[in-house]
Amino acid sequence: MLRAFAIAAVAAVSLDTMAQAQDTATLKVGMSGGYFPFTFVKQDKLQGFEVDVMNAVGAETGLKVEYVTMSFSGLVGALSSGRIDTIANQITITPEREAAFAFTQPYVYDGAQVVVKKGNETTITGPEDLKGRTVAVNLGSNFEQLLRELPYADEINIKTYESNIEQDTALGRVDAFVMDRVSSAQVIQKSPLPLALAGQPFSEIHNALPFRDDEAGRALRDQVDAALTKLKADGTLAKISQTWFASDITSAK
Amino acid sequence: MQTLDVNYMLGLIPVLIGYVPLTLGMALASMAFALVLSSLLAVERVLRIPVLDQAVMLFISFFRGTPLLVQLFLFYYGLPQLVSFLAQINGVTAAIMGLTLHFSAYMAESIRAAIIGVDRSQWEASMAVGMTRGQMLRRIVLPQASRVAAPTLVNYFIDMIKSTSLAFTLGVTELMGATQKEAAGSFLYFESFIVVAVIYWVMVEALSYGQRLLEQRMEKAYAR
Repeated sequence: MLRAFAIAAVAAVSLDTMAQAQDTATLKVGMSGGYFPFTFVKQDKLQGFEVDVMNAVGAETGLKVEYVTMSFSGLVGALSSGRIDTIANQITITPEREAAFAFTQPYVYDGAQVVVKKGNETTITGPEDLKGRTVAVNLGSNFEQLLRELPYADEINIKTYESNIEQDTALGRVDAFVMDRVSSAQVIQKSPLPLALAGQPFSEIHNALPFRDDEAGRALRDQVDAALTKLKADGTLAKISQTWFASDITSAK
Repeated sequence: MQTLDVNYMLGLIPVLIGYVPLTLGMALASMAFALVLSSLLAVERVLRIPVLDQAVMLFISFFRGTPLLVQLFLFYYGLPQLVSFLAQINGVTAAIMGLTLHFSAYMAESIRAAIIGVDRSQWEASMAVGMTRGQMLRRIVLPQASRVAAPTLVNYFIDMIKSTSLAFTLGVTELMGATQKEAAGSFLYFESFIVVAVIYWVMVEALSYGQRLLEQRMEKAYAR
């Protein structure tokens, strides 16, 4: 009995601790796998706008793209520690992040959006109406930053989540959530949750791919950036965007 | 009130069953290591070896006295900051380490109780035929103690299977992590979580059935 256990244990562990060969020709892409429709899982299949974009980048550069999924708040740490090479998860360029990472050019132009439970869009029509209310955001996201930077931030009760902010808003546990405009619109359209957009987007955001700010990281960034330039020019990015959003979010307005 | 999306649930079952081997594998590996470690700890607690005894008591006290989730975070996120090579360990390995140490602390205590529960006459008889303490434990005491400890150890194993669900917090897509992702993609939370609950439940029930068979077999030698 014990011997069988031991064999199972050794087999299980040796499977996991096999040193992963650092192949220079692979691009390890981190994403949450829980951000519809940018990166999500259906029937065990990882898919979404980000996956299509990175596959196109892989085809263009000849790099073998390998996806690593983990919780959103863990992605930046994984990038810093070298577990992944970049993050394809709608990472917004901010001064703090630019100081720490080497970014490609933006490949998504989007806005921050307040979303409320259906029926409340008449009382909450923008970020000003969030005073005295409870608002859900994803932990470590740029939207958390945006909320905290509002001049009346101390009057807002900000709740950070790892996931499922849409569900808690739909259930009325929080008054609103803040996310990007395009995926908010998609969630309202495609999910059964009773949600509505509250007013107009209140902040323009540019999203790009961050790489480690060292020599190898910058070299990889340049390679991927060149691919993005080409994919923008030949309409590939616009086409991927049309598939997921029925509009082009990949070029500056 | 929405209606249940039964088709979605039926489609989800095979997908999630694909993650059962990983969940069971993590639990089996942890259980194997924990059996070895907890036996050693229990034997030490019975023999009371100076200095080592204090260390073992401290170990048991810490791993029983702190939540498993805290221990997992300590291994996976905390220690790599102090010891850089620990950054190499992946989530599965960290989860197995955490489960092993955590449950060893509990199992050591129940194995120790089982050892002490073996009748004194057995110890004295072993001594009388000239066995060393090691021989006595190995040949006479531990086999009898294992029968007493078996039901509790199976209980710990069941607890372990369910505790593997915490591994998703270390970025491991196991049964619970896979369910979370499917739920976030479909927004059908109730359907997703009820399916995964039933899968865990069936796993544990199958084990409980195995436990009853095992106990019947072990009792045979003692039938009067």
